Amino acid sequence: MSHDEMSCRKLILDYLGDYEDGSMPSAERKDLEAHLSHCPPCVLFLHSYRATGRTLRMLKPREIPKNLAEAVMKFVKARCKDKE
Amino acid sequence: MADDPNASDLELVRRIKQGDDEAFREMVERYHSRVYSLSYGVLHNAEDAEEATQDTFLTLYRKIGTFDETKKFFSWFYRVALNSAYSRARRRRPGITVSLDDYAPRFGGDGTEASPQYQAWVSGVEDDVIARDLARRAEGFIAELPDTYRDAIWMVDVEEMKPADVAEILEISLPALKSRLHRARLFVRQKLAEAASRAPALSERRVAP
Repeated sequence: MSHDEMSCRKLILDYLGDYEDGSMPSAERKDLEAHLSHCPPCVLFLHSYRATGRTLRMLKPREIPKNLAEAVMKFVKARCKDKE
Repeated sequence: MADDPNASDLELVRRIKQGDDEAFREMVERYHSRVYSLSYGVLHNAEDAEEATQDTFLTLYRKIGTFDETKKFFSWFYRVALNSAYSRARRRRPGITVSLDDYAPRFGGDGTEASPQYQAWVSGVEDDVIARDLARRAEGFIAELPDTYRDAIWMVDVEEMKPADVAEILEISLPALKSRLHRARLFVRQKLAEAASRAPALSERRVAP
């Protein structure tokens, strides 16, 4: 992939996921970083993509209902007794 | 064996197959939080997620004999959990899902992204109060996604599971999982950006008095 081919559209739609998870081959990674070095809109987009990930990680840890394990045990025992 | 979670799971599975109730209890202790959280990702409702968790362990108890011990237990069990959650979801009124294309990034004639005005919210994520508000909204946006995209983003980005493990659970290739994940992230990013542009407080950092 030549530098010219690294348009914003390709970067965002095709390559950003691989770039972020580190699976992009180093030559393409260099092309992408070269594009970022002269494209402020793509840098902004990258920041917002990362901010989305940070936001989603805040959904965990979720509060687990108290005594859920015990409720599960009771439920399973009751259902299995019904069948016996 | 204690440092190998798969081996420990398998030990428990074998004991449960032999009717060892204590092994079943150990399995419940080990997995109930993860099953609940996964179920919540599908159902977005605490009561439904709790009931789906109970259904999942009942299925485990009844169907453990069908588990092929040459396969990974967690993949099989997470599929059981997803099936339980979706079975419960189908009993509710169907929700509204959206077209991802309606929320894909837009590009101008020169190829650059056409809505950089939506970017101001990014700095707000550094503020805990704003970030929590955005996270609450993001949960709603995830709920609008078609199932296959919702599973991918919930398990990888919220549950922080390894993409390779999630691909195995969903029985799809890793590239297919990554494609779904990326499209789901683009959708949530766009929705968050648009929500922030309608509520300026979400894109302003709070200044301490």
